[in-house]
Amino acid sequence: MSTTEKAPPATRAVAKKPAEPERFALLGVWAVLIVAFCVIVPETFPTTANISNMLGSQVTLLILALALLVPLRAGDYDLSVASTLNLSTVVVAVLNVNHGFNIWLSVLLAIGAGALVGVVNGTIVTKFAIDPFIVTLGIGTVVQGLIYYLSDSMTISGIDRKLSDVVLTQPFLSIPIGFYYALALCFGVWYVFDHTAFGQRLLFVGQSRDVARLNGVNVNGLRFTSLVISGALAGLAGAVYAGTTASADPVSGAAFLLPAFAACFLGSTVLKIGRFNPWGTLIAVYFLVTGITGLQLMGAQQYVQQLFYGGALVIAVILSKLVRARGERKRRAQIAA
Amino acid sequence: MTQAVNTAGDSGAATLAPLLRVKGLKKSFNGVPALHGVDIDVRPGEVHGLLGANGSGKSTLIKILAGFHDADGGTVTAHGNEVSSPFGPRGLRDQGLGFVHQDLGLALSNTVLEHMALDREGTSQGWARVDWKAERARVQELLDRFEIDVDPSATIDMLTPVQRAMVAVIRAVGSQERTSKDRSPGQILILDEPTVFLPRHEVGLLFNVLHRLRDRGDAVLLVSHDLDEILEVTNRVTVFRNGRTAGTRSTEGATRDDLVQLILGARDEHVAKGKAVIRDDKPPLLAARKIRGTRVQDLDLDLFSGEVVGITGLAGSGFEELPDLLFGSKALVSGSLEHGGQAVRKPSPVKSMDAGVVLIPADRKSQGGALELSVLENMSVPFLAKQAKGWRVPWGALGKQAQDTCHRLNVVPPNPQAMFGHLSGGNQQKALLGKWMDTQPLVMLLNEPTQGVDIGARREIFKLIRAAVAQGMAVLCATSDYEQLVEMADRVLVVDEGRIRAELTGDDITKDALASAVYAEEAS
Repeated sequence: MSTTEKAPPATRAVAKKPAEPERFALLGVWAVLIVAFCVIVPETFPTTANISNMLGSQVTLLILALALLVPLRAGDYDLSVASTLNLSTVVVAVLNVNHGFNIWLSVLLAIGAGALVGVVNGTIVTKFAIDPFIVTLGIGTVVQGLIYYLSDSMTISGIDRKLSDVVLTQPFLSIPIGFYYALALCFGVWYVFDHTAFGQRLLFVGQSRDVARLNGVNVNGLRFTSLVISGALAGLAGAVYAGTTASADPVSGAAFLLPAFAACFLGSTVLKIGRFNPWGTLIAVYFLVTGITGLQLMGAQQYVQQLFYGGALVIAVILSKLVRARGERKRRAQIAA
Repeated sequence: MTQAVNTAGDSGAATLAPLLRVKGLKKSFNGVPALHGVDIDVRPGEVHGLLGANGSGKSTLIKILAGFHDADGGTVTAHGNEVSSPFGPRGLRDQGLGFVHQDLGLALSNTVLEHMALDREGTSQGWARVDWKAERARVQELLDRFEIDVDPSATIDMLTPVQRAMVAVIRAVGSQERTSKDRSPGQILILDEPTVFLPRHEVGLLFNVLHRLRDRGDAVLLVSHDLDEILEVTNRVTVFRNGRTAGTRSTEGATRDDLVQLILGARDEHVAKGKAVIRDDKPPLLAARKIRGTRVQDLDLDLFSGEVVGITGLAGSGFEELPDLLFGSKALVSGSLEHGGQAVRKPSPVKSMDAGVVLIPADRKSQGGALELSVLENMSVPFLAKQAKGWRVPWGALGKQAQDTCHRLNVVPPNPQAMFGHLSGGNQQKALLGKWMDTQPLVMLLNEPTQGVDIGARREIFKLIRAAVAQGMAVLCATSDYEQLVEMADRVLVVDEGRIRAELTGDDITKDALASAVYAEEAS
């Protein structure tokens, strides 16, 4: 941080932050991957159409991963984010197509529905002191049931084109406009995490509930808020998803759950090792899609997607464990010294 | 009694070759030497103390012997076999060294019998059937021999802290007895600060076990911070200073000052206590009215500006609960708190902090600071509640303040970017103290403030507290460390069965007076 750089020369030697080249490792692997695909499939991979497609197709996933990032930072899992996304998509479709609501009002209500799921999650988690892992797993399934009920188990198509226009088309520099929204959201989450008291308190809640509490932080209040934000952002992701497909089906949202977790955990091994961070998540999302797209262009089948996301999640968790163990060894060595 | 035993132990042991001899052991971490070649001899039939400030290298030595680190050079002779470094990942465990680490290594929901039957060195290996009846008999015999009144079927979480410590020691003894049939009768046991988390009045039970080990000819190396404990239980003591052996001496006839001098390399200076507190008409900064908690019963307390009030008592008397009750981090069952004469509705940490009341909890690792965050982040939490009203955390200003505070309080390393968990116990405590001092509190509640803190940092912490008190702060210090109360407190309240039973002030606060006040209550 800038303060140490400005420190007087006498203290600079000790005040230097230890270099951690590992924090750029994923960026390096990503670069290697890009170069490799450019060489192997030069006629399809490094094309404007492909790049535009890769960047544009991940907007929903990126927003959902950012939603998940908020409770993760507070130390809580939200397993209901994917169902919430699907709920939001269906709400947009049902209101707009079946009931003729204005599309923007539908979107707003869909985000509100997402926030409501967060309120239910947060209330149960904080009022009854129950592990959010279980609560959000249960509520996520309840929400899935609600989706079938609302949609009559059918795909609803014909959502107002205005929504698609806003998120999908209108490319800027040949990249769908939605990508820039996701980028802006990333910036917003980064700012809130690193430069507001709220984000910093969230971090303490995630690291140690006791420490946060004894420092005057309202632990349960923050956990509640983080789950509500997660629900609302998942709702936003659902609205964006509705825009990209112009329709809503009751099942496809579930496919986002694992990739979102994979992106968050893989992201926590980049830039700020051991911390869930938005830019790392962004890098992880695009690293994963680069690998999948490249392999598919080389002729790999659909299954490669599952292999990649599932593998990435497990490897990310192993990596963070290894990095932590290394930090622990350093700590032991320092204390012993 | 101790003296007579010491003499016997000394004269008997002097003629015998040491069971454990460490010679010229060296270790560097990333080029920074932690051990410059240390020597230590432990003879059969002695309890040998190992003392030293934090960072003096005693943990490094133990970790090398146990195989956590490997040495860069030197030899260890155990049971007459000389081994040169490197020692490999099992350290010297295969040379017949038994270890009891600070955390004792016991699983809470397993029974004593399970722990002792299923040790790595046990008879029951792999798929072989465990002969539970024989194991139970063996364990029971071992417990009886050391007069430990513990049921082998009891799970660890049913035991008191001192019983757990005794089980951990006996477990190490038992596993060695099984494997060392062909070795010399004496065992080598290394105990790494087993008493830190024990209530003081129960430590004696553990010492009885150590005395039995000594009397049967074992060599026991006891690592400790506690000078009184070393003087009480050991025959000889070796002191490490800055990675070197500062000296080995008999503890017979030694005084605390002798040891402190060895540890610090210079004579101990005492922190001057403040003048007697002059009370004016102002209301107390913090007051408790008939408060009741889990153990505290209808207790009244007033804390005035400019005084250090010590709270002590036996473990379980309720004194350890007071800081949390007064801070609002533990709910009152009944009674009320007053800040500056004003009653507080629903006390909470937030309200306390708003009123300038802060708490430094006893458990630094899980309650004091977030280990994986930086010192700066840890130090900035209180300010995030107060200063950061807007949308921006003033990282520049906070960083500068943290840097200044770290320098002023002599936190090593003086780098706010360092991870909090990487600091030693004493430095963590100084950083926490600095963090709260920067909020300019009116009342500071301390719970065992120097637990696991080395003697140098301990002195610095006392000075900081005294300086703040001279400026008008009030301090409440709950501790079972009488030495600390003698040095720091203007008055001491002795708690028994949740109530204040005695109050000592000024020069009446001596270790003897405190001990008799605390234990007298137990008798009545």
